[in-house]
Amino acid sequence: MRALVHAEVLKLRTRTAAWLLLATLGLVALTIGESVPKVGDPNASVSLDDPGLLAGIVGIGFGVPEVLVVLLGGLAFTQEFRYGTITSTYLGEPRRTRVLVAKWLSLALASVVITIATLAFSATFGIALISSRNGEVTLATQFWQTAAAAFVVMAAYCVIGVAVGALVRNQIAAAVGVLVWMLAVEQTVTPSFPAIGRWMPGGATDALLQLGPELGLEGKLLSAPVGGLVLLGYTAAALTLALLLTPRRDVL
Amino acid sequence: MTRALPCAVELHDLTKSFGDVLAVDEVSAVALPGEVTALLGPNGAGKTTTLRMLLGLVAPSSGTATFGGRRYDELTDPVRRVGAVLEASGCHPGRTPLDHLRILATASRLPKDAPTRVLAETGLAADARRRVGEFSLGMRQRLGLAAAMLGDPDVLVLDEPTNGLDPPGVRWLRGYVRRLADEGRTVLVSSHALSEVEQTADHVLVLAHGRLLRSSRLAALRAEAGVGSRVRTPDPDRLCAALQAAGHRFRRTEEGLAVDASPEEVGELAAAHGVVLHGLVATADLEQAFFRLIQESGSARRPASTEGAGS
Repeated sequence: MRALVHAEVLKLRTRTAAWLLLATLGLVALTIGESVPKVGDPNASVSLDDPGLLAGIVGIGFGVPEVLVVLLGGLAFTQEFRYGTITSTYLGEPRRTRVLVAKWLSLALASVVITIATLAFSATFGIALISSRNGEVTLATQFWQTAAAAFVVMAAYCVIGVAVGALVRNQIAAAVGVLVWMLAVEQTVTPSFPAIGRWMPGGATDALLQLGPELGLEGKLLSAPVGGLVLLGYTAAALTLALLLTPRRDVL
Repeated sequence: MTRALPCAVELHDLTKSFGDVLAVDEVSAVALPGEVTALLGPNGAGKTTTLRMLLGLVAPSSGTATFGGRRYDELTDPVRRVGAVLEASGCHPGRTPLDHLRILATASRLPKDAPTRVLAETGLAADARRRVGEFSLGMRQRLGLAAAMLGDPDVLVLDEPTNGLDPPGVRWLRGYVRRLADEGRTVLVSSHALSEVEQTADHVLVLAHGRLLRSSRLAALRAEAGVGSRVRTPDPDRLCAALQAAGHRFRRTEEGLAVDASPEEVGELAAAHGVVLHGLVATADLEQAFFRLIQESGSARRPASTEGAGS
């Protein structure tokens, strides 16, 4: 398994350019810039001296990296089918569940790097922005809870992404499906119909990251532990489906 | 040099259906160590599906395909036992061949120098750090072969390996494949290019419509082929009509006509019908036998006949 994971990491390193991470951090900066309230803004959902502000904007900042790891997870399989490398991958390791697990582990390692980079960047940028607007920076318990939850969320999204890629196989269909679901469907359903949206993966993620106040959905999302369980449920379902179907499907 | 662990490839009643389509129908055959066995058939005959079932990529509907008695997914170190080239494009175009081979070698715990060794063997050493996207189809075929040879395997499975190769590349491949078999490896190569099979194979398996029509030594098949002719004429339609009326099989080729009759017969027939010929040469190659087998299988789906070592 170690050799397989090493090979998967090599695949990521030889194709996934550093500019992708930099672009992601740029988008994180834009998200955070929009999330920190302006001085004297009467419409702000959270005030500049709210003790949960830093945790909230750090959590909001994970919106883009979440999409990134699902896409990267999806690419882990769809790219292999697109370029025909899946043949040599399965010839090297005919037990396909091991390939699936190796891809998830390699992506999980990548997600740890992305999570640490995002946390460090968003916390630094958030603190600088709040301070510049004369707000109060508080590293409260919620901040550390959000930081810990971010690792769980990113690992779960890796699994979901790899499973989507293994099941869909077609790169464009998988990428478009993921983007439409995460950026259109969930972004519409969760604020408009929170009773439904809070049970969706995105709503459960928002609950786990405790983003209710920042999103104007305070009291409408699940509690953080329940949100975490719902997200893990989706993750387990995706993993089970992929583990069941991947070994049975023909590679033509 | 001979291999320490000779490993035969065995297909036993191998069958695959895709819905209502029977792609491979009860194929049984053996490819032996030290020989090049050619899986020969026209496009759509079921060659690729057969090879993919052999390699565990496609699940057979019934039957078995084994290497030395074990299914591919039961081999403990598959890359060291079996090397395969199934498609020329099996590499990400943005990677270098060296990176591609390093990934495969890492996954299979092969020595670190294996990628550079096989790149040198396949004549790609100078291109090791170019992106594969810049490669010609022939170079990709060589890269596929390099990947197959990474584990120095006992068995080599090649699906249409000459596709995209230029004439020097084809000549190189013939020599390479022959050398691998002479080293004691089992080489199973599919092809629809008859001239390739004729010059490299020891044994042929003729497949059409998913059925094994013939398993035979190449020499036996060639002897059966008899003498045929290649004809060039400015009036092919009239010659075709005359050949048809006389009951001779023929087909149009890029150079003219390939006729299942001796040059004497064709020459006399042309003279009798006043058809001018620009060229008439005798041929005694596999094409005749192959052509006949395929034609017969199209008109009547008969049970496979076998003979020789591969039966």
